[in-house]
Amino acid sequence: MKLSSIVRLYRVRLRARLTQELFAVLGIAIGVALLFASQVANTSLDGSVQRLSAGIVGDMRFQIAGRDARGFDAALLSQVSRLPHVQAIVPVIEQNANLVGGGGERSVDMIGTDPHLAHLGGSIAQHLGSVPPRGARVFAVPPAIAQDIGVFSARPVTVQIGSSSATALLVPQLLARGTGSLGESPVALAPLDLVQRLAGLPNRLTSIYVRSAPRFDRLVKAELERLAGGRLNVRSADITTRLFRRAAGPVDQSTGLFSALSALVGFLFAFNALMLTVPQRRSLIEDLRLDGYTRSMIVQVLALDALVLGVVASVLGLLLGDVLSVAVFSANPGYLSFAFPIGEQRIVTWQSVTFAVLSGMLAAGAGVLTPLRAEIAERRAGLLQLRARQSRPQSWWLLPTAGACLAGTTFILVAEPQAAIVGVVSLTLALLLCLPALLDLVIRASGRLQTLLSGAASYLAVIELRSRSNRPRSLAIAATGAIAVFGSVSIQGARDSLQRGLDASARAIDSGADIWVTPAGTANSLATMPFVDRVSASLAQLPGVREVRLYRSSFLDWGSRRIWVLAPPRTDSHPIAASQLLHDGDLPSATARLRGHGWVVVSQAIASEHHLHTGGTFTLPSTEPTSLRVAALSTNMGWPPGAIVLNADDYARAWASEQPSALQVELAPGASAVAVGREVKQAVGTGSALRVETLAERVRLHYGTASQGLSRLTQIRTLVLIAAVLAMAAAMGAMIWQRRVRLADMKVDGFSRLVLWRSLVWESAILLGLGCAVGAAFGAYGQVLLSRALSVVTGFPVIESSPLAPAASSFLLITAVAVGMVAVPGYVAARVRPAVGLPE
Amino acid sequence: MLELRELVKHFPVPAGTPVRAVDGVSLNVAGGEFVALYGPSGSGKTTLLMLIAALLRPDAGSVLLDGRDISSLPDPEAARYRLHDLGFVRQTLNLMPGATALDNAALKLMGTDIGAREARRRIVPLLERLGLGERRSHRAEQLSMGERQRVMIARALSTEPKLLLADEPTGSLDSTRGREVLELLAQSCRERRVSVVLVTHDPQAASFADRVFALRDGRLVERESDRTGAVLKVG
Repeated sequence: MKLSSIVRLYRVRLRARLTQELFAVLGIAIGVALLFASQVANTSLDGSVQRLSAGIVGDMRFQIAGRDARGFDAALLSQVSRLPHVQAIVPVIEQNANLVGGGGERSVDMIGTDPHLAHLGGSIAQHLGSVPPRGARVFAVPPAIAQDIGVFSARPVTVQIGSSSATALLVPQLLARGTGSLGESPVALAPLDLVQRLAGLPNRLTSIYVRSAPRFDRLVKAELERLAGGRLNVRSADITTRLFRRAAGPVDQSTGLFSALSALVGFLFAFNALMLTVPQRRSLIEDLRLDGYTRSMIVQVLALDALVLGVVASVLGLLLGDVLSVAVFSANPGYLSFAFPIGEQRIVTWQSVTFAVLSGMLAAGAGVLTPLRAEIAERRAGLLQLRARQSRPQSWWLLPTAGACLAGTTFILVAEPQAAIVGVVSLTLALLLCLPALLDLVIRASGRLQTLLSGAASYLAVIELRSRSNRPRSLAIAATGAIAVFGSVSIQGARDSLQRGLDASARAIDSGADIWVTPAGTANSLATMPFVDRVSASLAQLPGVREVRLYRSSFLDWGSRRIWVLAPPRTDSHPIAASQLLHDGDLPSATARLRGHGWVVVSQAIASEHHLHTGGTFTLPSTEPTSLRVAALSTNMGWPPGAIVLNADDYARAWASEQPSALQVELAPGASAVAVGREVKQAVGTGSALRVETLAERVRLHYGTASQGLSRLTQIRTLVLIAAVLAMAAAMGAMIWQRRVRLADMKVDGFSRLVLWRSLVWESAILLGLGCAVGAAFGAYGQVLLSRALSVVTGFPVIESSPLAPAASSFLLITAVAVGMVAVPGYVAARVRPAVGLPE
Repeated sequence: MLELRELVKHFPVPAGTPVRAVDGVSLNVAGGEFVALYGPSGSGKTTLLMLIAALLRPDAGSVLLDGRDISSLPDPEAARYRLHDLGFVRQTLNLMPGATALDNAALKLMGTDIGAREARRRIVPLLERLGLGERRSHRAEQLSMGERQRVMIARALSTEPKLLLADEPTGSLDSTRGREVLELLAQSCRERRVSVVLVTHDPQAASFADRVFALRDGRLVERESDRTGAVLKVG
């Protein structure tokens, strides 16, 4: 068969099914868009850190780095340079800084290095060639970051590092050209000595990047480890990217899972739309077979349908996805930006495009070739009138398989929660496999109910539902509703449980003080930046202040994890909340131990990785490696890579530093937090780099951060709901519209418009109600599964909530909206003239 | 040309006696001969046509076309047989909606290796012969029932088959238009020396045949026809 004939056949058939094809295109496009947008969002976060890291380290092989922001003595630089087989070194000092300009403030990762050595690093370090040399108080940020703080040309801005505040000249034009790899990354590039002066760390470095001679990597690394002496980290130069991937893993996983659900809804949307064209395609296949077309020729004809549909839908999906990724799935760094320099630029990789397009093509192929599959299955039974003699499709295996899937899900829930994704897939399969039997059950029940009601409308509805020819489409519509409600309830339930847990965690940590004093900047929201304390003594003298305590905290790289270290004062009566401990009964002993000497509470994930158990001893790889004992196991406190809690005195010993990262102000009895807060701000000084927050303000900030981090889940859920309602309403509407001739026949037989309309609404309500109810039931189970997975696998502090309320609300909302939408075309269709039913 | 030898096709019925749709039918049709199979609904007419079209396999017996047994052809061979040697006209007028009469008629030709343009060119004389020259650019929905059936005949004859099977071709038409269509069908086939097996329960349709057979409970009985529209003798 020639291509021209296949193309001609496609063209001549298109006119009659253009509307249905457009529905199908839209359905697949929505699925492709959801997949593509979520892929772009994930790769943008990963890519941002990766590009930044690669831009700095270039072809450097190793990094020797300090374990806190104070770093190590710069004298180490000359020792490293003298090592055999070391070809090049780049000294770096890296500090969290808060830039304050005329138009606002912004946290950045301030990187200082020697401009003379710029050519040795990556593409970003090379920009340092344009930064003025040693001694100049000039630095640069990407233009987008400068604009955020209202700086459009060279202008002095305030640079806050720790409690220090100083002025330096920001020249955005220095990075105006060739900043593709920088994009909107929150970094500042400056001469080494400027950062050292701004941070109050003269002659200190935080890391040295090293390039070894080819084939001497192992030797150079051994030499670096010898110099490090167990007090510095020696790692591959791209360690930041690896640490970030570990931190972002749970977020990526959950987003990927929910995106897959979205894509499934999109596919069902497409499938529904394609079902509208099935009668035409079946008729075409019959004709072609009678006329002598072989199966391969028929496949060629249908393959072009699928190809055109898939390509058009994929292109549209990519465009829609692009818009979605900007407007809805924007690469929101959220809480991960507290420990990693994450930019907000969108990064689109060829893998994301390929994955989305392949999914679109697959959906189109599956949908278009479905009638052919059915045709082949029926081949032996013949065509024409013989179809009526066919035995009903064998579906006895559906329920046992659904039961097996449910059993598998339950096994995963109880024994292997880390396989939650498999569990969700098997639960989805169980749902879909149950649906035919449940539909039969509901139709039978509706039939019984109809005999009680004795109404013509319900009678007609049941007749239509019993029709075998309507069955595939009925199942597809019910499945769409079921999957949508299932996804919605699962996602929303798990999100709510997580939000509750994170809020409880934030409240527990923040309630350690009535007023918090910390270095400014959003990147310091967890109070992880140490500073030189010059104000605690004076604050303690203020009226209304009972006590000022030193709180210490930071991030520490341990293996492949950047963990969060929290060190509340030893005198804190509640150093850890019961909700954070994995076993509530541990609280009294854990509290007593933390207030003692040399004990820590460790996140389960860290404990598992390092084979730690309660009561066991280990050495913490801090600045001064310290032997500690495990007091209890905890959640990850809302920080995906995990956290450890020890008292502030033990922290000072392990980090060899008395510097706090926050001052905890406790009010005298009866004092007002707002009033004392004002006093504290005055005492700290208006030009200070320190920020003063009341407990209420801080809790509000952390609730907002948690909510922002989970916002993508809410957005996905909303999109799933909208797509599902549109899919069901469109499919039902189109099905009703196609039935106009039959409705006209019924009018000829004397049925009134109202009866016909009510029968259509009855039919829709039964189908959509069934789908949504099944989805709600399975969704409640899905919520339990996902919540458990989040709690056990990722270690998040999850507080489970009852799935009944979200299940009921999603069921009612989607059913009501979809039935309401269907009622309109139903009303119009029921007004069809009786003459339409009479042939010429 | 066409020879049916003791054809048998039974359909099993759950918990019942099998339906004997075709039960030992033998028949010879000469080249260019017009044969009508007359019988009521459910008598096995369509099953017999499907056996001849290699859309069903017989339980016993064989179907020979020019001496070649087509009853046991593998699927691709059976499809080639239908494409090149057979034309099939049905009662249901399944034209492609939205497509013109020309494209609908050329559908079968497009399945050969001649390409779309050549297929559309070749079908025009046949459409004109069938009186559709002026209507060839009209879409399927714009054609009357009689015109639609003529499009189907054009499609069936487009690959110049040896044998044409017609399954109740006038079932959707009134008597006047049905007669016109049958006349055209008979003339066109006679001009091309195409053998015709017509299945019908319409006595008028049977009157166009050279020979008429009655089919009852799957068995074939020859009748006589006076070519004026009435069947003279039964059994």
